[in-house]
Order: sequence, then structure tokens, then C-alpha cells
Amino acid sequence: MENRPLFIPVILGTARKGRASENVTKFVFNEVQRREGVETELIDIRELAFPIDDAGEQIKDAKFSATIERADGLVIVTPEYNHGYPGLLKHVLDSNLKEYIHKAVGVCGVSAGGFGGVRVIENLLPVLRELGLVTIFWDGNFSGAQKLFDENGNLLDRATHERRIDKFLGELVWMSKTLRHGRENISM
Amino acid sequence: MARTDKMICPKCGVEMNHHAMKVDYGASLENPGAIDPAFGGTLKEAHTCPECGMTELRENG
Repeated sequence: MENRPLFIPVILGTARKGRASENVTKFVFNEVQRREGVETELIDIRELAFPIDDAGEQIKDAKFSATIERADGLVIVTPEYNHGYPGLLKHVLDSNLKEYIHKAVGVCGVSAGGFGGVRVIENLLPVLRELGLVTIFWDGNFSGAQKLFDENGNLLDRATHERRIDKFLGELVWMSKTLRHGRENISM
Repeated sequence: MARTDKMICPKCGVEMNHHAMKVDYGASLENPGAIDPAFGGTLKEAHTCPECGMTELRENG
């Protein structure tokens, strides 16, 4: 049923106190909401109570899995911690498999330094690929995360980031539509 | 031998579309006997329902 809206949730990939990625996620989430024909939902991994004494599909969270099952694409907003992704984000992502296969994903990297999380994005790509997701070639890059927003959480250089995220979402929406058509209609 | 029968969507009752093969390493931990030695894991087919979009996996062969 290709006329149903696309569903592209946004995952906030860190649970740390004082996380700068939270404002970035809100900005990206608002931009996804503005897209015609796209429904979205914000998933904050801090609110998912995954146990840590097991992993993978043994610890599936029914609501989270149902959301990913419904999704046509995903946006993952991840901070860069020591050049890597948060362990909790990996723990959460590993809890599903069939829900991801041949779905589009785009990654927004957030860093305190000047490289916009490019290292965490590069490190996360092989994980996403193994999960069965299809990565787009646009990224979201948010450098100097502690200085990107004012005290009210408003993005300071909004025009630049809106232009960049517009390209990112354009690619993600196209890939989500294309892969949905493929999943539902094109056989191996 | 690969399966040729169509999967039926448990929600919609329509034929699902087989669009991917995936090695499931987690399933291999649960059931080591199902490991395909050529792939080092359990080979699964991914099928998606064209009506509701739900995806299901099943073992291949």
C-alpha cells in the first residue's frame, strides 16, 4: 500500500545527563515533522528500560520493536564519545533484526569538536549495515555542540543547518520510498 | 534446498514478498544445530507484506 505515509522515527542515541544531542534531536525531529507525507516519532533511548544482563533479541522491548517494525526509515542522532558511539545505543539497536531489513537509515553525528561527529558516523555504518539497514550518503554533522544552541534550545545558525538537513532528509525520504517499494513488490 | 512456498502475512492473509536473505547470528546462539557452515550462522529469508508492511523471517530450507 504505497499511498500510506512514510514513517521515519528519530532516535536520540544517548542517555547521558547534559547530553548536547538532545537539542540536535529536537531540531531534526521538527524538520522531519515538517515533511509532507512523513510521520515521525521521537525515540529517546533514556526512556527504554533495557536490561543489561542479556542482549540482542532476548531483551526485545515490544513497543520499541513495534515502532521499528512500522518504520520505513530511521534517523539516528548519536554523539561521538571517544570517537565511538554510546554503548547503550548499540545495546538498543541490537535488540531487533527483522524490523530493520531493507529499511533506510541516516545518521546525525554530534561532537564537541569541529568534525561534526564524522568519526562516530563512520564507526556506526558497518553496524547498521550488518543489521540489514541501508545507509544514505548524506549525514547530519553538528560540530561544537555545546555552542550550537542558545539557553532556550534554539539553534543559532539555523539557516545553514536547515539547508543541510533538507538535503539529508531529501535523500532519506527518497530511499525510504524506494526501499518500501522494493520490500513489498520486488522479489529475489 | 531453498523453500519455494510463499509466506502468508499473519495479519492480512495475503502473500508476502521475499526480498532478502540474512544471516542471523543471534539465532545460531539459540540453536547451534541450525548453523549453516557456509555462512557461519542461520540463513533466513525476509518476507514483507505488501498490505501492512510487516516483515517476517523464516529459516531458508
